[in-house]
Amino acid sequence: MLLRTVLIRLLTTAITLFGVAVVVFTLVRVAPGNPIAMMLPPGATEQDIANLTALYGFDKSLPHQFVIWLSGVVQGDFGTSITLRRPVSELVLSRLPATLELSVMALFIAVALGGFVAVLGARRRNSATEVGLDLSSGAVLSIPDFLWGLIFVLLFGVLWPVLSISGRIDPRIEFDFTTNYYVLEGLLRGRFDVVGSTLGHMLMPAMSLALPLAAMIAQLLKQNLKEELLKDYTTLTRVRGFTETAVILREALRNAALPTLALVGVQFTFLIGGTVIVERLFAYEGLGNMAIDAVINRDLPLIQGIVMLFAALFIVINLAVDLSYTLLNPRLRHG
Amino acid sequence: MSQQTQHRHALEIINLSIALPNGVRLLRDVSLKLEPGEVRALVGESGAGKSMIGKTVLGILPDTLKITQGEIILEGQHLNMMTPWTRRKTVAEITALIPQDPLTALNPLRKIGPQIVDPLIRIRGWEKDRARARALELLERVHIRAPERVMQSYPHELSGGMRQRILIAAAFAPSPRLIVADEPTTALDVTVQKEILKLIRELQKETGTAVLFVTHDMGVVAKISQQVTVLFAGKVMEDAPTREVFTNPAHPYTRALIAATPSSADLDRPFSPVPTELIAELHAQVARDDALWQGKKR
Repeated sequence: MLLRTVLIRLLTTAITLFGVAVVVFTLVRVAPGNPIAMMLPPGATEQDIANLTALYGFDKSLPHQFVIWLSGVVQGDFGTSITLRRPVSELVLSRLPATLELSVMALFIAVALGGFVAVLGARRRNSATEVGLDLSSGAVLSIPDFLWGLIFVLLFGVLWPVLSISGRIDPRIEFDFTTNYYVLEGLLRGRFDVVGSTLGHMLMPAMSLALPLAAMIAQLLKQNLKEELLKDYTTLTRVRGFTETAVILREALRNAALPTLALVGVQFTFLIGGTVIVERLFAYEGLGNMAIDAVINRDLPLIQGIVMLFAALFIVINLAVDLSYTLLNPRLRHG
Repeated sequence: MSQQTQHRHALEIINLSIALPNGVRLLRDVSLKLEPGEVRALVGESGAGKSMIGKTVLGILPDTLKITQGEIILEGQHLNMMTPWTRRKTVAEITALIPQDPLTALNPLRKIGPQIVDPLIRIRGWEKDRARARALELLERVHIRAPERVMQSYPHELSGGMRQRILIAAAFAPSPRLIVADEPTTALDVTVQKEILKLIRELQKETGTAVLFVTHDMGVVAKISQQVTVLFAGKVMEDAPTREVFTNPAHPYTRALIAATPSSADLDRPFSPVPTELIAELHAQVARDDALWQGKKR
């Protein structure tokens, strides 16, 4: 039974990735803009253009190009970046850790902040506090992540310059990284100055990404909590002498978190999508920043590689959400 | 105050009125007493306010309803005069609730064991082992086979009847002096109903706990209670010993309720609902009283 589930899952994953590959490959080639023209200086001869086009295989038919690219991908070769002249897989994997660390930090902030506001709102339900929290999360939600980025830059980079507005780590810090997971490696090797500097650089972009999601979690979780707090099992806990806060945290929260979890999974993928612009805004050296450069330079292999990696990431996240949903809900565990 | 020291009721409700925010009264001057070890049934049709009385005693009335007058005295302690904190402590110390619907009254994501044991440890301050032993003892008492295994189960793995027996065990576990049973058999099918009723009666006799038994079923009233309070539209119609109510009902509404209860003794008797004229007359009476009460208020 489990084997069958796993097999079905793998098959759907493969089909999804193949579909993404077809769409991306076609789109970047159909869209206007010629990578060869970007590479040559003005006044290049017809012969030069033809040579370079043949070198990169752009003279072949679209399906033919796709087959060549796909057969490479299956073997782990995503081609070579046109602008950076290095293997796409190497480039992409070197940037992935920065984006992962940023996204996970943003997720933590969103869950912690949203969860706290939701519990507070449920605890003070039907009061002015709840109305105030509702209004503020509505306001927070209506401002998109990149605008939050600008607001933070203005507040903590210009008016009260306490946080650095660009980069991933203070360049003066000397540390020989073996991986690109700065926070993780800093923690494991006990270099807390590295961790501190990296987290400091991540704080503003992470907050920009987290705030809209936090507001969404706050709204949905609070609503779910309020529903749970009307159910008989919470009433019974109240009669037994537990405080309202204890009733919320010990009894209602777990039940209310289940429907919220599905939303967090979907929204987390949107959050990762948001890194593209936010990383650019803060000159943060992650995948998103690289993606924008790749698009501007019409670096077709690199765009394809980045999109495929994002697609794989989204699939993994969805899988993780499904699994944790089953783990948290005993009613699904044995079925 | 001196009166209480002479005789302490398990529960005393004096002139309790509850109203909606718009002033419409749902409970009208209800008074009742419950002696230690006694079972008092609260009967009436749906909407008569019988569940509301239980909820008021336990302090779980919905926020929209307000107590406009009256006093609730639990073992001589005036609940109205307490801060919410001490009130919660006192109510938890003395009372327990057997809820109506066993399917929603257990947390679906937590195992049965902690749901019984947690309040004993966290609220009563018992040792872990003592609480566990007590839970096992009571689960056995309510005829749960393999109580150890049931403690490890989730609610969805158990039947409705089993869950209600578990809730009865949980209610009696901390040895409360007053149990509010809020239509505990209504959500169950008839064969299970009998068994649950029998269990509550047995445990009540063994422990000497006072029970406020909310029901709409005169048949259940006859089986379980010593005293009856008959309610209509939030007003007490009759308050008497059960035997007397059945042999010689004083109020026409009580008479009609008894007549409306089907009995297995004479199946040939045609079904006779409470006459609509009587209900209309009672409503008119309540309305007149309300008008009088409004006048007095001004």
